[in-house]
Amino acid sequence: MTAWERGRRLRHARWQLVLAVAAIGAAVALPVVLVSVGGGVAAHELSELENAGYQIVVSASGTHGISDAHRLAGEIRALGSVTAASPVLSIAVDAFVGSGGATPVLAEGVIPDQFAPTLGPTESGLFPSPLPLGDPTDAIHYANGSYTGPAVYDVLVSTPYAAAKGVGVGGVLALAPTANRSGAVAYNVTGTFGVPPSVLGPTGAFAILLPLSDLQVMTGYATGPNASVPDAADSVEVAVTGSAATDPSALNAVRSAIQSLVPYYGVSSLTQEAQQLGAASAVLTAFYLALSSVGVTIGLLFLALVLLRRVEAERRAIGIRRAIGLSRSSIAAPILRDGAVLAAAGAAAGLLGGYLLVAGLARWGSPTVAEAADLAVFSPELLGLLVAGIVLLSLLASGVATRAALRLEIPEALR
Amino acid sequence: MTGPAPAVALRGVAKTYDPGAADAVRALRGIDLALPPGAVVSVEGPSGCGKTTLLNLLGLLDRPTSGEVVWDGSAVGSRPERERARLRLDRVGFIFQRFYLLPTLTARENVELPMRAAGVPSAERARRASGLLTEVGLAGRERAFPHQLSGGEEQRVAIARALANGPGLLLADEPTGELDSANTVQILDLLDRVRAERSATLVLVTHNPTVAARARRHLTMLDGAIVADRTEA
Repeated sequence: MTAWERGRRLRHARWQLVLAVAAIGAAVALPVVLVSVGGGVAAHELSELENAGYQIVVSASGTHGISDAHRLAGEIRALGSVTAASPVLSIAVDAFVGSGGATPVLAEGVIPDQFAPTLGPTESGLFPSPLPLGDPTDAIHYANGSYTGPAVYDVLVSTPYAAAKGVGVGGVLALAPTANRSGAVAYNVTGTFGVPPSVLGPTGAFAILLPLSDLQVMTGYATGPNASVPDAADSVEVAVTGSAATDPSALNAVRSAIQSLVPYYGVSSLTQEAQQLGAASAVLTAFYLALSSVGVTIGLLFLALVLLRRVEAERRAIGIRRAIGLSRSSIAAPILRDGAVLAAAGAAAGLLGGYLLVAGLARWGSPTVAEAADLAVFSPELLGLLVAGIVLLSLLASGVATRAALRLEIPEALR
Repeated sequence: MTGPAPAVALRGVAKTYDPGAADAVRALRGIDLALPPGAVVSVEGPSGCGKTTLLNLLGLLDRPTSGEVVWDGSAVGSRPERERARLRLDRVGFIFQRFYLLPTLTARENVELPMRAAGVPSAERARRASGLLTEVGLAGRERAFPHQLSGGEEQRVAIARALANGPGLLLADEPTGELDSANTVQILDLLDRVRAERSATLVLVTHNPTVAARARRHLTMLDGAIVADRTEA
């Protein structure tokens, strides 16, 4: 063999090795991205849940499906360990500033003194304390379900909306259920609140907060013949204290007590929701890994083919070693070692590639993608398991080539 | 270290390639042969007569289709590959026409290879490899790779490698087939000397009369059978 031929064979072999490493690297990069970003988003959502100020939520199917929200909140508040029960009604309404046109905003109706205790540590810093919404209990206007008491007509606006529309504390905002100024009611802006960062969802940057009864009356979800759901709310968020705040079984006892009050609504504790989210996250991780196994299989097949080609290219050298009497293990060891080294190199390249891809998405991706990529969590345990799994699976690929080497007929190999 | 030369025998050995196939090749047909320890035997005959197949069976590189290969009274031809590999490592030295050195190893590493497989300690391996390379006339060439050696030098390295574990059975398949006449004589002299020093059995497969002349017993093969077995007085 001439030096030129040797050089060409060497270059060819190098290309095969590079391609094998690249194939495994690409196969590993995919689960790295999926698992780290998916896991990061799930961990963030879990953290949000764990940082919420409320521990139990009552919800109903359908639009604004909880009726008699004021009375129900009162009954829940009367239960032991409950410190606050906050019905929340969320509806998009139209807002008018001065002679300007209608701007859709997300309105949240709450009972002020019940809403504040259900805010988590992060959220509570975004709102003024106490909430400057006139009647703290929302009982005056509600008037035992008659809605005949005087309304306070106070509203808080989000800082993005306030900045965009040039409206501040002391200003007036006209609110209407539709984009029709003739039906609008004037509200006094008594404060502003910040908007928490939101991940993978609408930001709700243009938002207002007002007494529950005011929003119910404005949108027809109060009571009377025109109300589809009397005294409506979307959910009731419940904050607890004492052992219920720390002991899951005590929290579950409170949850059961609420459930017995409203057996027709869903009542779930955040512990349950966290468990469900954790389970969903685990299922997603398994799904990502299963999806990635296709790529890994292709990468390992490629590795097996490369190793088989090497065995074929080195059949004479293998034949010589076997003719001399080298043991099977000494024939197999270099092939298995090469496979493991290539797989480990591919896995390392995949880890690096996945990390760089996530970093790139965080920097140059669309806002939603960038936010998700920013939350990525690179778990050393999970990634270590992934690499170990790849290296172990590479033994299967190397095993194919090893078997071929050990089954070579020596006289054939030496021919 | 020199292992005792085995008494080698073939009993009714036949070898057919692709048996059952329409184009099956009957390479050997019922060979009976006995080689006492220390014998020097040439195997001659035209190409394709079964010389190399006979050598492969004697050295346990291949399995007979029928019959038995016997060493020192024990049937070894049908033993598991693991045992046959160990027997080859400890008791057989192969010398091939095309040398078959490993191109990625130096001369010394090639010679050390069988010793490494046999578990010889590193220092002992180095000492013995240097001694063997000196013995075959390659002192100072230990670090040369095969492509840096001439054909004659490569065959000397191959002989040193064949002697590495002190085998009692040396099997040489056209050992001078790739060499010029001057190198042929040198290599044959070397083989004569190292064989005699070790009292090893030597089987030379050749169709070169110069090579065959070094043997005292001459087997002639034709169409897979031994048609003549002549021993010089």
